[in-house]
Amino acid sequence: MLPGKKLHGLRFMRLLPLPFYLIACFGIKATGYVVLFSFRKFFALAACSFGLAVPAVAQQDSTAHQLRTVEVFGKPAEVYAAGSRVSTVDSSYLSTYASSSLADALQARTPIYFKTYGVSGLSSVAFRGTSATQTAVLWNGLNIAPATLGQTDFSTLPVSGIGEVAVQYGSAAATYGSGAIGGAVLLSSPEYKGKGFGADLQQEAGSFGRYFSSGSLHYSGAKLEVGASAYLRLAENDFTYRDLSRFRTPEVKQEHAAQQLRGFTQDLTYHLSSKTNVALHTWYTYADRELQPAMGSAYNNAKQLDENLRLMTTFGHSSRWGQTDIKAAYFKDYLHYTDNSTNSVADVQTYQLQAEQTYTQGQNWSLRGGINLQHFVAENDGYAGQQDENRASVFALFRYNPVEPLALSLNFRQAFVENYDPLPTPALGFNWKFYNNNRHQLSLKGNVSGSYRVPTLNDRFWIGAGNPNLKPEQGWSYEGGLRHLLVLGNTLLLETEATAYHMFVDDWIQWAPDYTGNWRPTNLQKVRSQGIELSSTATATVGDVKLSGTAGYTYTSSEQVAVYEGTGDKGKQLMYVPLHKATFSTEASYRGWSVLGNLNYTGLRYTSNSETTSLDDFLLLQLALNKKLQIRQNTLILTLRSDNVTNTEYQTMAYRAMPPRGYTFSLRFIIP
Amino acid sequence: MRKLNFFRSFFLAATLITSSVAFTSCDDENDVEPVIENEVRGPYDQEGVFIINEGNWGTPNGSISFLSDSAGHQVQNGIFSNANAGRPLGDVIQDMELYDSLAYIVANNSNKIEVVNAYTFESVGVVENLQLPRHFVALNNEKGYVTETVDYAGSQGRVSVIDLNNYTVTETIEVGMEPEQLLVAGGKLYVANSGDNNVTVINTATDAVESTITVSDAPTELALDRDNNIWVLSAGRITYNDDWTAIDYDQTTAGALSKITPGTQNVQTYTFGSNQSQPGNLTINGNGDKLYFNYDGGTYVQDVSATSLSNTVIIDHSFYGLGVDPDNGYIYGGDSNGFAGEGTVHVYQPDGTKVTEFRAGIGPNGFVFN
Repeated sequence: MLPGKKLHGLRFMRLLPLPFYLIACFGIKATGYVVLFSFRKFFALAACSFGLAVPAVAQQDSTAHQLRTVEVFGKPAEVYAAGSRVSTVDSSYLSTYASSSLADALQARTPIYFKTYGVSGLSSVAFRGTSATQTAVLWNGLNIAPATLGQTDFSTLPVSGIGEVAVQYGSAAATYGSGAIGGAVLLSSPEYKGKGFGADLQQEAGSFGRYFSSGSLHYSGAKLEVGASAYLRLAENDFTYRDLSRFRTPEVKQEHAAQQLRGFTQDLTYHLSSKTNVALHTWYTYADRELQPAMGSAYNNAKQLDENLRLMTTFGHSSRWGQTDIKAAYFKDYLHYTDNSTNSVADVQTYQLQAEQTYTQGQNWSLRGGINLQHFVAENDGYAGQQDENRASVFALFRYNPVEPLALSLNFRQAFVENYDPLPTPALGFNWKFYNNNRHQLSLKGNVSGSYRVPTLNDRFWIGAGNPNLKPEQGWSYEGGLRHLLVLGNTLLLETEATAYHMFVDDWIQWAPDYTGNWRPTNLQKVRSQGIELSSTATATVGDVKLSGTAGYTYTSSEQVAVYEGTGDKGKQLMYVPLHKATFSTEASYRGWSVLGNLNYTGLRYTSNSETTSLDDFLLLQLALNKKLQIRQNTLILTLRSDNVTNTEYQTMAYRAMPPRGYTFSLRFIIP
Repeated sequence: MRKLNFFRSFFLAATLITSSVAFTSCDDENDVEPVIENEVRGPYDQEGVFIINEGNWGTPNGSISFLSDSAGHQVQNGIFSNANAGRPLGDVIQDMELYDSLAYIVANNSNKIEVVNAYTFESVGVVENLQLPRHFVALNNEKGYVTETVDYAGSQGRVSVIDLNNYTVTETIEVGMEPEQLLVAGGKLYVANSGDNNVTVINTATDAVESTITVSDAPTELALDRDNNIWVLSAGRITYNDDWTAIDYDQTTAGALSKITPGTQNVQTYTFGSNQSQPGNLTINGNGDKLYFNYDGGTYVQDVSATSLSNTVIIDHSFYGLGVDPDNGYIYGGDSNGFAGEGTVHVYQPDGTKVTEFRAGIGPNGFVFN
């Protein structure tokens, strides 16, 4: 290569903070042959899950309750999402893996694929074959992605301090706005139930120099609920790996993957009356990381510091006109990237206001109308100056159950963005329970939804790269599915769901180097993602033994179907989108003991646009043993965990070493 | 690029011709196994071209491809990985040098030189712990030289002397900033200091710096012609404005082609007309009488006896990497295709008529002819 060109490349590196650069690598990819997935593996998993459910015969008092929740009006996220899939991440998993990041939790428990730049690096998501900027992340209902990057680094989001984690599959731009193309991850602050004081303390130590401490306190009174939590995670990550790139592939120690994460949350809800409440939520996260280099690449002292402060205040009031909710939020996202020749800061402030009015008529229909306003102030070393932007949207969400077994939802959103003219995004869905006897229920569901995404500020304003003339992404998604529910008295609940989807995204924005070698965003004419999602969850109770298991499998095909200029990438699977991913998790509890097992199969992923290079498939096993001890009213939980039990050598991002088998011991003390 | 000097070209050609006459056919497309095995020392012991594929920065996916000259052969990509149990070659493959029975492959951002058997591409050793190595040249079977940027934070560049018996650095010689190509001629090692405006001359017997020859800004590439003159292509110094938003063309200097006459160290410089385009990819044909380079979106050819810069555009396209087959004068141009996928190699007859094109690895930046 010419040194002149090298300098170009270098200038690029100087100007681009790493995550930016990474987006570029999130390219589009390559030849249509189907990878031979190990169907045997998958069927083995499926068989296990069903096998687990069969021997169940006994009492379970929560079944009826669970059933009702699933059935009647759904979880809050599902009210206006008839026909789409929403699943929550199991709470016992989240509490056992409280020290992990959201990326680890979702990678292990959902079909979403995360490409992680080593154990300490950025983690970007591919949901239903889309890119990281096409997955919305919401915290208490508001999108938290900074306008610069337009995506959230899941490795900096802790599981600790979060209440519930739900995942909505597929386009939901009508409900969540720009960016919800592949799906949405919905995070909510914990709810403190019960009266009086409570506390929760956890201390954990594990292999590779990992320590985790967390504590939380909460109080619930007649009018006031208040809670606060804090965590600290230190990880040396000095594991041993085989350096595949070096002469004779020696075993070496990972030297540049240390991280320190800390943060706190604070939640306060005050009930002014039985109908009116105000709440204040704070979420602060800090991540100081060495960025693990690829095997065979020199470490150039790459480090990244992320500081994210999120403040939100909400007001809720119910009257005969329904429920009024107003949310005001301020987010500050600071990112500082340094290496031997780069020193780059990005600082974004986001102001958001959302007001909505919900009117519900019994269990028959519900209408929500609202407005969302956003103001961004972005300072970035890569921009010519500060960039400000205003966005607004209005939305109307309607849920209607004309007859008991049929639920319909019709949603509509119109966004307004300076210099853009986004098309309205409608969504129409149905859920029809067409067969119901006292054991079996069968439902048919489907939805059609439009989506859009405005180019990020980096897409537009990055000096020498950003393109102010980029078109916004527009998409349509169609899905249909069948759900089966089997209830055997109070002993067994088996829920099985099959979904097929088909999605087009026009003007998909991709970062790729242009002819001068500079990375720039361009619009890809049309990308099609289609696939199948299968999942089955069983809960059974046999005497004192409670068993539960979930198996899931996804097939994802994501490729360019039309291109603006002749390229060789048409009809090829996008890079870093596995065609096959399967998860199987199980939990068995007996008196104070419980065992959690988690299997994750991830199929081959191509790492180039040409389908010529790929990462091998892998199977990961996690095991955890919990012992719960009652000390008066308090609970002490001892947990022994092993991650990567089978010592699998794997990578989620090419050449970034991942840890071998490790052990973690944790003590958790809960005062009710 | 990655020129062999004349002695070596000749020596190689002589050794290879004997072995390459023997085979004429090929079998399956994954394996260029010559028919008569006992006369060759491996699948790459035949006439053809190695393609250096840089790979993506920050990822060890650089690679080497090989295309046999024999009719009916397909290019074979990733020949290093194929010969070494799938091991990736390295991050930013910058240079490859064939010497005797070995190939030395410089992996810039892996800080190493992989040494392989030139006929099989099986790994035989490695030089590690270099600091951003750029280009390598072997003096003989005992000693080689590699240029190293060291860093981009202002350190002086250097040339490391490598003991080719045990692949260790025996000595480092400080040169100018960001040294790039080097070549050996007449017992001297010439090093282009692209961060400066000069060429360092090192005595290969003593490894001491003998002199520094001033040329034009950012000398990067070197070629030795039939009269043993050294041609230096300087890219010109690019200067950005204060906030790095654009190139400041008032401060940016134009590129230049200079001819150094070794005995007198006399320098004849031809400056390019515009500072808006940086010339690059200097290469020379087998006879040593025609220079090729890219400039302003085209590929130019220039006679070594010309007394001004050529305006003969032989191919109306500029390449990421450029090479000229020393035997038949065919021109090879590598297109990076934006590094998002495989690059394309275009092949032209000596008069610029296109012959064929094929896909190689990511970012083809150079050609080494066997």
